[in-house]
Order: sequence, then C-alpha cells, then structure tokens
Amino acid sequence: MSKRSARGGSRLAQVSAPEPEPELEVAELQLSSDEEYESGEESDLVSLSGGEDDAGVDREIEDAVLGYMAAAEKNRQDGGSASGSDDEGEHTDSGSGEEGEERSQEGGEGRQGAAEPQSANLHGAAAAAAVADDGDDDEQRPDDPASDSSEDERPNRNTIGDVPLVWYKDEEHVGYDAEGKKLARRPRRDRLEKHLAASDNIAKEMRTVYDEYNDEEIELSKEEMRMIQRIRAGQFPHVEVNPYEPEVDWFTRDVEVMPFNAAPEPKRRFVPSKWEEKKVVKLVRALRKGWIKRGQVEPEKPTAYLIWEDDGKTLDKTATGLTYIPAPKLKLPGHEESYNPAPEYLPTEEERNAEQLLDDEDRPQFVPTAYDCLRRVPAYANFIKERFERCLDLYLCPRTRRKRLIIEDPEVLVPKLPKPQDLQPFPTLLSVRYTGHSKVVRSVCPDPTGQWLLSGSDDGTVRLWEVRTGRCMQCWRLEEPVSCVAWCPSPGLSLLAAASGKRLLLLPSGVGNEEQEAATEAALAACTADSSGSSSDGIEDGQLVSWQRWQGGGEGQGGSSGSGRGSGSGGVVVLHKFGIKHVTWHARGDYFATTAPTGNTQAVLVNQLSKGVTQNPFRKNRGRVVRVLFHPSKPFFFVATQQNVRVYNLAKQALAKKLVSGSGVITSMAIHPTGDHLIVGSEDKRLCWFDLDLSAKPYRSLRYHQYAVRGAAFHRTYPLLASSSDDATVHVFHGMVYADLMTNPLIVPVKILRGHEMVDYQGVLDVAFHPTQPWIFTAGADATICLFVNP
Amino acid sequence: MLKKKKGQAGNAVQYVTRNQALKKLQLKLSEFRRLCILKGIHPREPKKKPQGHHKTYYHVKDISYLLHEPLLKKARELYAFEKKVRRAKAKQNKELAARLAARKPSYRLDHLVRERYPSFVDALRDLDDPLTMVHLFAVLPAERAHGIPAPVVQLSRRLVLEWQAWVVRAHALRKTFISVKGYYYQAEVQGQRVTWLVPHATGQVLPPDVDYKVMLTFLDFYHTLLQFVNFKLYHSLGLRYPPLLDNKLEAAAAGLEAMMKDLAGGAGGSGAQGAPLLEQGSQQREAGGEGQGVNPSAQQRIGSLADRVRQLEREIEGERPQHAGRAAAAGPAAAAQQAGGGDGEAEGEEEEEEEEEAAFEIDSGDEAVAASDSEEEEEEESDDDDEQESGGEGGEGAAADPSDGYLAPWTAGGGEEAEEEEGEEEAGVLDGDLAAGGAADVDADDDAAVCAHLFKGLVFFLGREVPREHLLLVVRAFGGQAGWAGEGSPVAEGDERITHQVVDRPTQGHRFLSREYVQPQWVFDSANFRVLAAPGLYAPGRAPPPHLSPFVSGEEEGYVPEYGKQLAALQEAAHAARRRRAAAAAGGDVFVGEVAAAAEGGGGAVLSAEEELEAAEARYAADLAKEMKQAGEDAAGSPEQAEEEAAAAAPAARKRRAGGEEEQAADEAAMKDIMMTRKTKKLYQGLQKTRAAKKARVTALEQKAAAIKGR
Repeated sequence: MSKRSARGGSRLAQVSAPEPEPELEVAELQLSSDEEYESGEESDLVSLSGGEDDAGVDREIEDAVLGYMAAAEKNRQDGGSASGSDDEGEHTDSGSGEEGEERSQEGGEGRQGAAEPQSANLHGAAAAAAVADDGDDDEQRPDDPASDSSEDERPNRNTIGDVPLVWYKDEEHVGYDAEGKKLARRPRRDRLEKHLAASDNIAKEMRTVYDEYNDEEIELSKEEMRMIQRIRAGQFPHVEVNPYEPEVDWFTRDVEVMPFNAAPEPKRRFVPSKWEEKKVVKLVRALRKGWIKRGQVEPEKPTAYLIWEDDGKTLDKTATGLTYIPAPKLKLPGHEESYNPAPEYLPTEEERNAEQLLDDEDRPQFVPTAYDCLRRVPAYANFIKERFERCLDLYLCPRTRRKRLIIEDPEVLVPKLPKPQDLQPFPTLLSVRYTGHSKVVRSVCPDPTGQWLLSGSDDGTVRLWEVRTGRCMQCWRLEEPVSCVAWCPSPGLSLLAAASGKRLLLLPSGVGNEEQEAATEAALAACTADSSGSSSDGIEDGQLVSWQRWQGGGEGQGGSSGSGRGSGSGGVVVLHKFGIKHVTWHARGDYFATTAPTGNTQAVLVNQLSKGVTQNPFRKNRGRVVRVLFHPSKPFFFVATQQNVRVYNLAKQALAKKLVSGSGVITSMAIHPTGDHLIVGSEDKRLCWFDLDLSAKPYRSLRYHQYAVRGAAFHRTYPLLASSSDDATVHVFHGMVYADLMTNPLIVPVKILRGHEMVDYQGVLDVAFHPTQPWIFTAGADATICLFVNP
Repeated sequence: MLKKKKGQAGNAVQYVTRNQALKKLQLKLSEFRRLCILKGIHPREPKKKPQGHHKTYYHVKDISYLLHEPLLKKARELYAFEKKVRRAKAKQNKELAARLAARKPSYRLDHLVRERYPSFVDALRDLDDPLTMVHLFAVLPAERAHGIPAPVVQLSRRLVLEWQAWVVRAHALRKTFISVKGYYYQAEVQGQRVTWLVPHATGQVLPPDVDYKVMLTFLDFYHTLLQFVNFKLYHSLGLRYPPLLDNKLEAAAAGLEAMMKDLAGGAGGSGAQGAPLLEQGSQQREAGGEGQGVNPSAQQRIGSLADRVRQLEREIEGERPQHAGRAAAAGPAAAAQQAGGGDGEAEGEEEEEEEEEAAFEIDSGDEAVAASDSEEEEEEESDDDDEQESGGEGGEGAAADPSDGYLAPWTAGGGEEAEEEEGEEEAGVLDGDLAAGGAADVDADDDAAVCAHLFKGLVFFLGREVPREHLLLVVRAFGGQAGWAGEGSPVAEGDERITHQVVDRPTQGHRFLSREYVQPQWVFDSANFRVLAAPGLYAPGRAPPPHLSPFVSGEEEGYVPEYGKQLAALQEAAHAARRRRAAAAAGGDVFVGEVAAAAEGGGGAVLSAEEELEAAEARYAADLAKEMKQAGEDAAGSPEQAEEEAAAAAPAARKRRAGGEEEQAADEAAMKDIMMTRKTKKLYQGLQKTRAAKKARVTALEQKAAAIKGR
C-alpha cells in the first residue's frame, strides 16, 4: 500500500474521535461502513483480535493511516520548527504522535518497508510531545479534517510540475521525487485484476480513484465519502458546522458591576470642540448671508418658454452694435444631385475616364450617380464630414459683407454712347498708299492747304507727295535718317522743316506759287544774312546753333517743273549740338522749336525764322524732354518730358502747370485747336486726355492699344482725334469739346484703321489729319504712308 | 495740434487678433472657441490688417461683449469645479468627490437665443443649419468612443419629431427632394424659407477625423434654439408644448405618428381620428345628393328670393342630421384627445362649431347673407365630395374634359406604358382636374392652400421597404392620410379606403384593383409639382422617370429636362382646372338678379381657362420656334467662329477684308470696351464668361439629351 492511500486512513482516525451529534453519526456510519469508530483504540483492537473477512482490508487501511501519519508528521515538523511552536500544531502533533506510537507498536512485522524509517522518527517526536504535554495523552483532540489548509493539500510525490503527462506516457517512470530520484511507474492492473479486486471487495474498489500525476490509487475514506455525499445534498460539508450558534452578547449595554476600565470620563468629552465651533460659526455666517440656501430648491425653469413677442420686427444690429452678418446659406441641390437624375446629367464613359486621369484636386467633388430605386440608395459617406466642415466655416471663417451686383444683362454695363454712324464724317477707307520710301517712315505732315504731304523716313529722304494722286513730287536726300518733318504754317511761305541728325533743314518746298516762292527765298536769305559772314562749318563758341545756307540734296521726281525748281533753290541748315528728334512750328510760322532729348540743358531750342536767331528758354530741364508744343493761340509752351508735361507761360516766363499723366514714358502729344485740351500718348499703351482748365490729372485715360502709342493728333476743324500705335492700328475717336464749361468732352471711339503691318515691332509711327478734310495720314514702319478717307 | 500716432485709431484699435483676445479674456483656446460658437461670434475681415495677414481678427466689440458674458464666469466655475473633483479623486477621497460631483455648476443658453436672435424671424432665417444638424444627430448612434451621449441623441430625436409634427400640422412643407446626400425639405414658416437636409436612414459611419466636441457644442446651442422655436410655433397654433410622445408608437418606430397623436386635428388626422373622418366623408357623400342638385343652371330657374330662401331652408333641414352625426363622430375623437391631456384639438372643434353656428343662423331663416354663406359652404363641401370621389376612384371625368388634346405629346409619351399596363387609360390621368388632386377647389394662386389640400382624400399605404418617416411627413403635410405595415397604423393593408400603395420592390405580388401602386418617388414628385403625377410611370418594378430638383428654376438654369417639361405642362393643366372650378364656384352662388352676369362670368371663366390652354400652347410653340432659331444661330455661329479664329491666326489676311462685316462687329465690340472703366470692363468680361459657360453647359446637356433620345 502506498502512503497516499494511507492518508485517508489517518484522517479517519483523527476525525473519528469527537462525536458531537451521535444520532446523526450513527445513521451515517451504518450507511458507509460496518465498523464502529467510537474509539480508535478499541476498534483497532477488536479488528486485530477478530480475524474476519474484512480484517485484512482494514489492516491495510490502518497501515496506510500510519504511513500517512508519519509523513504528515514529518512535514509538519519541518514547517513547525521554522515557524516556532504553534498551540494547535503542538496539540495535533502530540495527538498524532501518540497515535503513531500506538500504531507502530501494534503494526507488527507485516508492515511495508517504506514506513519504517518514518516510524522510527516518529518515536522521537512523540516522546518530545509527551514530555511537553502529558494531560492530553488519552483524549483525542477534536480535529477537523478540513480546518487546516496545509493538511488539505496533498503533498505531491511527483515534482515534474505542470507539464503534460503524455510526456511521460512511454517512460518507465512517472517523474521525480523531491530528491530527484525517478519514481518508477507501478505496474498497471489489468482488467482481470481489477475485476478480481472488485469481486474481493466491491465497496473498497468503488471508493478507489486513480491519481495519474502521482501514479497512485487513492482510496477515499468513509468520512470523505460522507463529506461528498453531504456536499451533494447541499449541506455543510462538515458535520460540526452549526449555522445557528447562539449569540453571545459580549458588549452589553448593562453597566457592569465590575467594568473593564473604571477610569473617570476625561474632560474633553464635556468641552465643546473648538474646530466644530469654528465650523458652526462659518455655517451660521453662510446661512445669515444667504450663501447657503436651505430647504428651498430653486424652481427649475422650463426648458422652453415664449421669448419672442409677436412684433415680427427685425433688427439689423446685434447686441454689440455691429451689423449682423448672417452666414451664407448652403447651395441648394440641382438636378444632378438627385438619386435618380435625368440621364443627361450622368457623366458618360469618356467623361468618367477623363476624370480618372485628373489630379485629386481637379477632380470634381461630386459625381452624379443614379440608383434605379430608392431602397438601393446608400448613406452618404461624407455627410458628417460636410456638416463638420460647415460647423468649422461657421465659427472660424471671417465674415464680411460684400455688395454683390446682380446684373441680369451685361449690356447694361456698356456705356451708352452715340452710334459711330451718327458721328460721321470720319476716315474709314484706305484711299491712297504712298510708296517710295525704303525704310521706316518716321513722320508725316500735310501742308496747310491740304494739297501736299511731307514725309520723313529712316532712309534719309524727305519726300513731298501730292495727296490726291500719291505721286512723289520731290525728294530731298539728307544722308542721315529724318526723324521729323514739319510744314511751316505761315500762309505766305512755302517752307518746310526737317530734322535729320544734328541738322535742322529749312527747305523751300518748290510747290508754292510765285509769291510764296519768292517770300520763302527772301525769308531764308534774311535768316542767314548776319551769319553768312562766318562761313565756318561748325558752331562757334558761345553759340547754341549755327545758321548756314545749304545747297543740294533736293531732287525732283516726275514733274519737270518740280525738278527745275528744286535744283535751283537752296535751303538753310541750322546746325545743332545734339541730335534733333522733333521740330514744331508756332501757329504764325515765325518761330519753331526743336527738341533734342540728349542735350540736357539745350534740349529745347526756340528759333526765330525772320531774324535767324536761336534762344534756349530753359536753363535746365527736369528729365529728358521728348516733345514741345506751342499753344495755338496763347503764349503758352508745352514741354513733355518722359514723365510729365510742363506748361510754361511765355509772357510771364513762368511755369503755369504741370500735368501728370501717371503713365509710362510719353511718346507723343497733341493739342486741341482751341488750346484747352491736350492728348498725350505713352509707351504703356495709354492715351491720356487732359482738360487744361480742369486739373493736372487726366480727364480720361484710355488704354486700348496692344503696344506703345506712337502718335496722336487732333483734327483742326472736325471733332476728331486719332492715335497710332506699334500694334499697326490707328484708332479714330470722335472727340467733341463743348463751348460751355459744364459739359464734359464727349469721347467716342468711332473707327479702328488697319492698313499697315508690324515690322520689327514697329507699327504706325506717326499720324496726321488732313487740314480741311476728315482724312488721315499714317506713317507706317512698313515704309508706306496711307491715306484714309471718309466714304 | 496733436499729431496722430500710428496704431491709435481705425482698424488698429477696432480689431484684435485671436491671441490678443485670448489674453484679454484669459481663456484657453478651446474654451474661447466654445464660447464663440455659443455666442455666434465669428472672425471678421478688416480692410487693413495691422498685425499682419495670416492672422484671425475679431472685432474689439465682440470680444468685450464676450468679456461680460455670464457664461464666461460659468466656464471658470466649471474649471474650478473640475479641478476640485480631480484633486479629491487623486487623494482617494471618494466621498468628497461624490459630494462635489453632485454640485456641478449648470448653465443655460436661453439668454443667448434672445441675444442672437432678437426677433423670431431672425431665428427662422438661421434655422437651416440647426435643423440639419439636429436631424443628423437624431439618427447617429450614441457612441462613447466619440463622446456622443445618449441624452443628446434622444433630445435631437424629440426635437426633430416636434418640428416635423408642426410642419405637418401647419402644412408648411413646400419642396422636397431626394438627393444622393439625403432628403432635402423646404418649409415656409412665416414667409421665411427654411431648408433642411435629413440623411438617408441607413446607418452612418462616424468618421474618426471629425471633432465631435465642436459639433456637440453647436448642437448644444441648436437644441436650445430649436426648443424655443418649436415652442413659439406651437404657441402660435395654440398647442401645448412640449407635446406628449406616445411611447408605444415611438417604440414601434412610428415616429411622427407618435407625436401627431398628441397634436391631433391636423388635416389627415391622427390615428384616432382617421377613421371618423373617413366616415364623415362617406356620410357627406350620401347626404350630398340633394346638395349636388344646386348648380348654376338650376339657380337660373329660381324665380325669387323667397323661393330661394325656402329652398335653402329645406336643404338645411336635410343637412341637419348630418351635422349632428358629424358632431357625434367627432365626439369620441375629442374625448380621446382630452384623455391625452391635449388642448390641441381646440382649433378643429372651433371650425366645427363655426359651421354649426352658421347652420343655426340659416335655420332662423332671416338673413339672406348668412344663407348665401352657408350655401357657399355646402357648395364647397359637395365639390369636395366630388373631388374625393373622382380623386379616389380615378379617371372618371376624363372623357368629358376638353383639355385632353392639349397634352397629346405627353399622352404619347405615356402611351407605351399604357399598352404595357393592359390598356389602362392614361389619358384620364392627364386630366387637369385629376392632376389637381385634392386641391382642385382651392384658389390656384394660393400656394399654401394648394399644398395643404393636394393629397386630401387620398389614403396611402406605405410598404415596409419604403422610408416611412419621410413619406409620412410628405403625405400628411400635403393633406393626405397614411397607414403602414406595422403597429399603430390607422389603416390596415387590406382597407378599402386606401387609394395609393407605396411600394419599392421589384414585383408586387397581390394587387388590389382599387388602388394605385406607386414608388416613393411619386409622392415626392407630385408634392413638388403640386399635381398628382401619372402613377403608371411610377409602377413598382419599373425605372421611374428622373427625379428633378425643385430648387432650380428653369429660367435660371437655362435647361429643363424632358420630364420637367411634361410635369410643368401637367401643372399648368391642374392650375387651369383649379381656376375653372373657382370660376364655376363663383358663378354658382350668384343671385337671380345677377344671373346674366354670373353666366357671363362663368362663361368668361371657362373662356379664360380655354384661353389659358391656348396661351400655353402658344407658349410652347414660341419655345419651339425659339429653340429652332437658336439651333439655326448655332449652326451659323460656328463657321463664323472658325473664320474669326482663322483671322486671328493670319493677320496678313486681315486688311484684305478691312471692310468685312465680321471685323466691323469685332471692332465695334473692341471699341465698346475702350470706353468702359477697368472695373466695369472686368465685370463685363466676367459676366460674358459666365454666360458663355452657362450656354456651353446647356448646349452640352441638350446634345447629350438628344443623343440619349436618339439611341
């Protein structure tokens, strides 16, 4: 028999001693076994003496009990010695020691070897216990098998731990004991043996269970069986447990005659607490001041009530006094957002593919989708996101009030102007193209009668054309490029001025009548009369210019009369120090002014034809002078630098006005015949109209050319003005100026003339109106001159 | 004189940046944002930004306004409170923590509603966002992960139902639209158009990249606002607020019905009232036989005023029991409502009383005016009955109507379906009278009345697969009645009174012959166009015609889809029918002396209706002509454009055509530009661009539509 099976026996022995409820016990005993355990010794003795059938079995049990007791004793002693002497432990020890002693004595020789050394140990222990406590010798201590947890737990024989037992399935041993020795596997009983065992003692066999871990068979004791039965019946496992114990009132309210503590009550129990007093004072104050409200719970306001009266008024202002800016409402859905949109709103296959190719940002946010019935429509995935974004917009986006013009018809924006047809005459048709120049034509100028046209070109020639026929009457070769030509407005003379390099040439035209020719000859002779003595080529020191006679260069073309005259007469050359870019005549034809942009202090020179003198009116010029102009009737002089136009009063010799165009480099300038209005063209494509009576700033600034404005002109009699530009167009305007000062000038664009081509980014370089007819001459970079006439 | 220093006037002192504001208010950013949301304070855009661009500017007044806000104090109290609780918890002092937690400072936003919206109309103007948000949260799951508490969802749900119940009760709904995003609704409240969006009923997935705290803060204010708005609306109708929600019905997901039960007395009635109402109808129909005899022709024959009065008295005697019966029928319903504690039916009863009073007056027989009044009423009722009959049974008076021919193209369009549907007469459906629905008698120009009566006399049965709540809202707001498959339905599926069954399934097994089977879209389309659309087009299982947005106007859009034109034509016909009826009714109760005038008037009215039809036809013809012309122009325009392009490509070719007309036109356009200021020029060019874009879009749509049609 193993030690394990003996354990149950030991318990039996321990438990059997006390008998608190005999009547119950009797019944149970009868149930479980045929033996009496009233007193261990007696029964044992009986069983020993009486050699009955079951005696062998019982003996085995007894042996096992003994063995177990010994083992338990050993364990306990190990623990007990460490933890010191425990009362109950001692008692148990002594009790079981006694028992063990007895058993070992009674056991005899039939005992197994395993138990022997332990029993030898036991003797010592039992002796010690007996010395310590003699009184307990004969009575068994009431001991609960379940009370001590250490006893409850079977000490494992095997020490392999919590490993799967299959690992040892095929081994000879089942594991190792505490010393590390192999625990040999016991031979298994086969069925026959089991059957025989069962037939031997069915009761015992039924109580035996096999512990695979430790490889042993455990026979449950009768007491254990009983315990199991009680548990199954739902009773307390132990018979000893009394759930209805009488209550002992240890701490009664009755004053004891002999109290545990008779000390008098301390004083502090009768003195009010200072802390409490403070607290009370605080509370009282809080109550008085109404900080704490007792009893009355504030009536809960209803969640909703009437807060708006029925006035129906609306206020623009908020409580802050600022105007309320409502958040813009979300766009209402169109047809394409429908769950079942019309098929034309759905993207086609190609469109869908095209969308796929787009970037994520370019891809449309919403793609119309069609569902064939309502139940197929899924939840909109972005719903919450969109609401959230709307929330963010509501409280994070700055709001401003924008005035939005709602314009049904954009045509209302177009200013109401008279129709061009009603403003005729103005030039519309290309009538004559004057060809003969080989390079860019820089300048054109018709003669005061309107019969002849002068032109100067980069090829170094000045040509005289007959307007109506386009025939070149005369050609002067001036070697250097001609930058400007101007006809002398004096009716008695037939004189022209041409600027070529540093020379200004005054040439008799040779197409005037006899009187004019003679007068011209006389004038030219007069102007060089005093300087004829000094016939040097250069300019003398201290002189601004030098007036000299000039022969040759004239060359008639076509007509024999022209050639005869042209070759006969010579002109006058006025030598300048700087290259002349522009020349302009005073209306009477006696004075003319030249502009040399590079000559800083001598940029503007005014020459008098009749006396042949030159003067420099300005000591210095602010900025590079581009153009100068005489006022047609008053003693005013206009000087256009690149940035602005200065108006000088010649009579007072003072600056009268400074006109600021606010645009880029000024390229051209023209004055209205009345002298009250000025147009200025500039390189930044702008044409500015100045009303000289009004302001120093432009009355109108028009920007319609694609390239720089090169020329600008007013018609002398008709209310027409024109501007030419490098984009090869000429814009003709109707520019009516009213006599009364209250009415603003009327400017209406009437025609865009196209006759030239752009050459090397140069288009129409100069423009001039016919003096009497509503015709216009344009000098193009394509080496031609065009005449546009009215239909 | 003091020199002005920089930063002491103007924008520099009127606006502060956000950080400056935070410093002044001594708030955390999150708390500041919260307050801004609640107070409705938003950044502004100063003309000059003294602290630099890329900064948010608030008006200094807004901030100082925040400074005196009681909520600011509350926010600080809350902060202190949270600190205390946190500290108590950290010290394991659970008792103290619990005691503190019980004393959490609470706040209310009532004053903010009043501040932000000084008048009710102001609040109505801004109601779009609140309604949409509350409708969204009413269907969201209360999820702790996102911090959406269950009470918020419940309150949202309650407010939504209250609002919808009011819309139904007041018949305020004007437009509906099923979009991919959800259901759009537009109601007219005190002249203000309130639009809101309700998500589709399927479950919403809560995106993680959304700050629900912000939304909940908004919702906090919106709840308060909506409660007050609802209160005001209910108050204006003389109803108690909050209405009682029938828990049983709500549990049965009857939603609106649960709320309406308390309101009671809205047209279409609640479940309790539905049956009596219908009974009334049938009673009237029986009793109305005599009343129907009174027609203009009969009146002409009546010789004198005395005769007339006598006849009226006779009629009224006949009507008397009917009135009594009606009162009796209304009795139980009223009782039921009183049991529910409602004072809502007061209005309905008042009307009833008014009628009765009128009846008594006539009974005394002294005043002819009163008699005429009552006559009018009777007339209306009888008409109503007529209408219910014709509307209910469908296609009765179809053959008699002269306007059938007008809608020939439409009939042709529907003809195929007619064949499919075993020769069901489609022509009948096109009748203007029939299309006018229950609203045939009402003044055609009174949109509110038309809306309120459109589905009058129709009983809908909603299948279990259709979105019940939405359909209930639409049907009842437009005066119809509805039942559904499920608990609490006022009518069972087998009920004979049902005129329309709304189904959304591929096939309908058992069909009642007495009712139309339509898809849900029919209800929405009909409501939008104020007509009863042809139900054949919406038969279950077939693809319904396109659903069009009522929010776009054809003129603005420039393009109307084909079906839109058809519906518009039908609408026109219904309109004409309403006019005709109104004219007939006006002629009906004129006295003998005015008989001739009445006849003339009636004739005139009929004539006017005919004229209207003619006018419609003329309009159509004109449209057609215009289209043709446009097409022609387009055809002409394209080579012109090509030419222009060619001209631009080769400037050399230009002068050869100097006098060319096209160039002249281009020049003229260019010259027009010259005289415009730069600002105007930009505006003008922008407008031209948008116009061109719009035109291009319209042409693209038209081409696409033509291509689809051709296929």
